[in-house]
Amino acid sequence: MEFETGEETKLQELIRHWMNERHAPDILPAQSTLLGRLLDHIRKQNDTVQLLRADPDSSEDEHFRIMLAQTEIERVKFIVRSYVRTRLYKIEKYARYVVANPEIQERLSATELEHAKKFAHLMESHFHRTVLQSLPEEQRGLADEVVFMPPMIPEPDKTRSVFALARTQCPPVRLPDGSTSEMEKGQIALTPYYVVEQLLARGEVELV
Amino acid sequence: MALPISLRSSVTPPELELIASEQLIEIIPLISMDKTAFISGAYGPLRPPAKCKLPIWMATNLKLKKKCHIVPPDWLSVDFLQDRLTRETSQLEFCAMPFRFAEIAKIVLDVASDDLENPDKIRSLLKDLREARQAKSREGITKLDHSELSLPNLCSMEINEIRPFFIRSMGVLTQLTRHPAPADGA
Repeated sequence: MEFETGEETKLQELIRHWMNERHAPDILPAQSTLLGRLLDHIRKQNDTVQLLRADPDSSEDEHFRIMLAQTEIERVKFIVRSYVRTRLYKIEKYARYVVANPEIQERLSATELEHAKKFAHLMESHFHRTVLQSLPEEQRGLADEVVFMPPMIPEPDKTRSVFALARTQCPPVRLPDGSTSEMEKGQIALTPYYVVEQLLARGEVELV
Repeated sequence: MALPISLRSSVTPPELELIASEQLIEIIPLISMDKTAFISGAYGPLRPPAKCKLPIWMATNLKLKKKCHIVPPDWLSVDFLQDRLTRETSQLEFCAMPFRFAEIAKIVLDVASDDLENPDKIRSLLKDLREARQAKSREGITKLDHSELSLPNLCSMEINEIRPFFIRSMGVLTQLTRHPAPADGA
């Protein structure tokens, strides 16, 4: 029906990335610039609010605007926090996978990467101190690959399905059953994550 | 400080409501306010009784303080919903509805039912519509396979409702089809 075609604001952009991050099984590229801009905006808006509040001459009308501005600041902060925490959850879950894979490290910000490394190190030394050191040498590995067993280092399951909504006319993608599919603007499809991974990276679809 | 466990598997309806509240809605202000810059854009000026477009969260905020009337969107009326319900029950496909209609309808009905004509009728129509659509999405599960399922006109809240079950079903179908593949190659 009506899909907003106008320019998307920075906040809407963040909301889109927030939802993508929430639904995608993999860790998506960090949106550092966008996040920085919004944080700057929050800070500026906060300063304005403080300035207006300090002014004793402000009218009731002014108080109203202050209240609305503060409400919005809280809303934006909530979204920023939830976005960062979603990434943090995935980073901690896949910490050891992140440390072992330079490809995924590119998608993390410097602080996130540092956290992942520290977290992985803490986990490993904890396992070692509490249990592994009292086991025989050959059973101490944390990265053994045993047939018919799930891997010891959990990695993102890209075959998990996602609901993708096309933001524009998308180029054809190959489906697991060998056929190809082309999504038109506004179309919604349930499909494995790896099918739409490239479309998502280019912003042609969003996850809903 | 990672995401709380309760939020890890899916998005919650209040979060969807938060997102929907960023959309604009028309109001008739009862107070005046100069044009003000917000993070999501500049809104105003409010000059009663001229209509003005504001984000829904701002409109509900003003409404709760009795400082505006909300002009319900065109689709939130008895006529429109009645028409959609008739079509929804007579054809197999989903009818086109605004993507976040469920969230917006709930917000408007919650805070501004006095600005609507016949809110009780609207409530019951929305409920009927929801049930009709729910039945269809449940039927959709029979069409599920491991590669793709197109869901035209499905809305945000409905997707969220079927998400856990559909994703798991598709996961099982993927496993079933994936496993024979290596044997073929060997």
